[in-house]
Amino acid sequence: MIRGATIIRVLRVGCCAVAAGGILPARAAAQIYLGHDVPHRGSMEISGGAIGSGGSDSGPASAEETRNTGTGTGPFVLFSASSRADASAGLQGKLGVYLAKSFSVEGGVLLGRPRLSTQLSGDAESAPDLTATETLTRLIVDGSVLFHLTGASFGGGNGVPFVSGGAGYLRDAHEKNELIETGHEFHVGGGLHYWFGQGKHRLGMRADAGMSWRSGGADSGETYRAVPTAAGSIAYLF
Amino acid sequence: MNRGAAVFVTAALVAVCSVPAAAYLKLGTKVGTRTVTLKWSQMPIRYFITDRGTTGVTSAQLQQTVQSAFSTWEAVPTTQISSQFVGTTLANASSGDGLTVIGFQNRPDLERTLGATSFLIDTTSGAIVESDIFFNTAFPWSVAAQGETGMFDLQSIALHEIGHLHGLAHSAMGETELRAGGRRVIAAESVMFPIAFSAGTILGRTLKTDDIAGIGDIYPNSTYTRSTGSISGKITKSGKGVLGAHIVAFDMRTQKLVGGFSLSDDGSFVIAGLDPGPHVLRVEPLDDGDIESFFDATLNIDVDFRAQFYDKIVVVPKAGGTSGVELKVVAK
Repeated sequence: MIRGATIIRVLRVGCCAVAAGGILPARAAAQIYLGHDVPHRGSMEISGGAIGSGGSDSGPASAEETRNTGTGTGPFVLFSASSRADASAGLQGKLGVYLAKSFSVEGGVLLGRPRLSTQLSGDAESAPDLTATETLTRLIVDGSVLFHLTGASFGGGNGVPFVSGGAGYLRDAHEKNELIETGHEFHVGGGLHYWFGQGKHRLGMRADAGMSWRSGGADSGETYRAVPTAAGSIAYLF
Repeated sequence: MNRGAAVFVTAALVAVCSVPAAAYLKLGTKVGTRTVTLKWSQMPIRYFITDRGTTGVTSAQLQQTVQSAFSTWEAVPTTQISSQFVGTTLANASSGDGLTVIGFQNRPDLERTLGATSFLIDTTSGAIVESDIFFNTAFPWSVAAQGETGMFDLQSIALHEIGHLHGLAHSAMGETELRAGGRRVIAAESVMFPIAFSAGTILGRTLKTDDIAGIGDIYPNSTYTRSTGSISGKITKSGKGVLGAHIVAFDMRTQKLVGGFSLSDDGSFVIAGLDPGPHVLRVEPLDDGDIESFFDATLNIDVDFRAQFYDKIVVVPKAGGTSGVELKVVAK
C-alpha cells in the first residue's frame, strides 16, 4: 500500500518535468531533482532550536562516621544528602548531510545550563534542612545517524518521520569554571521533519524526542543515567 | 576516673605554643610576629623506643607497634614522610634531651590521658627538633591483633600520638555524649579526634580521610599538589567573624568528610587536601570536646551558634582552591 503511493508520486513528478521541459529547458532539467526528490544524496540540513532535558537523580549519600562500640549499630549518620540534576532547557544546533534520500548523518552541539541540587537533611545536630545548588554550563557535542521513514511521509511528502541514534561527548563546567568534568552519552530517539514548499532549498520544522544515557560529567558519576529529551528546531535544507 | 564510662582523652602537650597555624588544624608556634606550622624539617624522623614494657606488652612489641603506626602514616600516598627506628634507650620519653623517645610511663596523675606527645622546637623556624611520646601505664594496654576486652589498643593510640608527632593537632570530626565521668565517643571519623574509642576496639587503627588530608597539608608531595584542592572562606555571625567554628566538607561522590576550623578573628577558614568535585559544607560549634583539646585556652572560641549547611554546592578544583565562601551562622 505504501509502496504504491510512492510510485504514484514519482510518476507525477516525472510528468511535471516533461511538461515544463518545452518552455524552460534549463530549469526543467534542474527540476528533475526538485520537488519530492529533495532531499537527495548530498543534500545538507542545518537546524537550530531549543531542547529540554529531563532531570536525573544521582542518588542518596550519607555523611557517616565510624560508630564506637556499645553506642548503637551501623555507621553514625551525621547528615544525609540526595542529589539530582534538575530538568533544564538549552539550545542546540545540528548540521547534517544526506547520504541517501532516507539516510543521513549529522553532528550537533547542545548548550545548556542545568542546575544541580543537593537536598541536605537529617542532621545529627538539628541543622535545618536545606537544598544546596549549583548551575552548570553543559556542552554536548554529538554525532547521529538518521533513518528517514519516507514510506511513512505525509502532507504530500512534506512531513517525514525519522528515527535516530548516536553518541556524544559531554563537557560540564562548574560555576566560575573551577572544574571541568567530561563524560559521554548515547542517545536514541525519533522525530519529524516538516518541510515547507517544494524547492531545492527548503525551510522546515523539526521535532525530536528521545532518551539519552549519560555517564561522567558533573552529575552522573560513572554510572549511566537515563535522561529524556525533547527538542524543537527550525531546519533549512539545501 | 570512671572506667565504665570509657572516656579517655589523648592529648598533645605542646611545649611552646598551641596556636593553630592555618588550614587544617595543625600545631603551630609564633616565630616573631608570624605563626608557623610545627613540622619536621628533615626526614627520616629518627626515634628511640624505651627499653621497658608494661603489663601485657613487651618493649619489642611496643617497638613493632610504633613502627607499624609510623608505617600507616607513611603509606598515605599524598605525603612524603619517613621514619627510622634507631634503637632502644633507657631514657624517659620526656623532652629536652635532644632524642625523640617513645615509651611507657606511669602517670596516674593524668587520669584521663592515655598518651601524650611533647615537642622541642627551634623557635626561630618552627622546626621540630625532638618529639617524645608516652603511653600511660595507668591504663591496661593490648597489642592483640583483634584487640582485647577492657584493654586499650596500643596501635590505635600510637597512630594518634604519631599524628601529633608529625605536627597534626586534634580533629573535631567526631560526636560525643556527656556521661558520668566524662565524655564518651559516639562516633568519630578521624584518628586525630581527641577522645579515644572505647577499650577493646581496634577501630582507631585506620586513618580516615580527615587524617589523610591533614598530613598531606603539612608534608605535601607532588601528588597532593597536583590532585587535591581546597575551599576557603569565612564564618560570620551578625557580620562579625566566628573563631573556632568547625567546618566540614562532604564530598557527595566519595562520601568522604574532611574538617577544618575558622582560625582567625575574621572567621577565615581553609580546608585543604580535598578531592576535586562538588562538596557541601556544614558548620557547627566546637561542642564535642573540651575547647582546650583543640585551641589555646586564651582564645575566645565562639560556640554560641547553630549547626547549619551552606546553601551553595562548592566545587573544588584540581590543584587549586575555591575561595570566597561566606557561611553566615545565627546564635542559638
